[in-house]
Amino acid sequence: MAGDPQPTVTSIIGRSLAVEGEIRGEECLHVDGRVKGTLKLEGDLVVGPSGVVEAEIDVRDIFILGTVTGRVTAHRRFEVQPSGRFEGEAAAGAYEIHPGAVFEGISRMLSSRKSPGEASAKQPQPSPSGMPQKT
Amino acid sequence: MGLFSSKKKGADYPGRESRAGAETSLIGARLSVQGKISGSGSLIVMGSLEGEIDLSGELVVSPPAKLRGEIRARRIAVAGTVEGQVSAQEKIHLEKSAVFSGELKAGRISVAEGAVLNGSVAMNRESDPQEG
Repeated sequence: MAGDPQPTVTSIIGRSLAVEGEIRGEECLHVDGRVKGTLKLEGDLVVGPSGVVEAEIDVRDIFILGTVTGRVTAHRRFEVQPSGRFEGEAAAGAYEIHPGAVFEGISRMLSSRKSPGEASAKQPQPSPSGMPQKT
Repeated sequence: MGLFSSKKKGADYPGRESRAGAETSLIGARLSVQGKISGSGSLIVMGSLEGEIDLSGELVVSPPAKLRGEIRARRIAVAGTVEGQVSAQEKIHLEKSAVFSGELKAGRISVAEGAVLNGSVAMNRESDPQEG
């Protein structure tokens, strides 16, 4: 629901912990340790200053204060704090990269707005503005 | 956004864990992990996990947690559901809400009345029996 900006439950991966594999869930996660693999959350991901995440990430918001490498989809917001470092491919609804932060890679906007006609038409063909296609 | 103080405390983390500041990690009820969790410090699991836990600290499995796999820790307290091989250097305690099936191995083992325990139990005598 739109009224709840942040789910109340936050899982924590502490500094001395490492997770390798797949993490999925409907809550927020704070990583101060290491995560390698896949991360898919309905909530937010905070990577603390000591956190190192190397993963395929799909979250609502991401706040990077540590190091993140990989492909990130942030449906709402992608934020890198001054201490943060990101390397990889990002797709997000909005970006905030603070001065001092490192962002190396590719960024793409997730547009939430679709024209009503397109949305209902199920896109039988790639949009004309897309990549040139040869068949 | 005032979410965090801008202090860069711990930003240059050298990778050496200070035993004094062993913190607690939490896998919440609506989180599921498939894979391996390893490290020191304490861990509370309320969500689900399939795979492996290798912890030099303490593990608490709290309802509605569901764990399946191979679990090692210094001390383990189970109040949720666990299936697999579980071993503790020091001790394992099954609370009355615990549902366990598999192999249990520890220096000391306690089981509360009401706990479900299906499987094998072994006490490893070689582990140091000193109080933890």
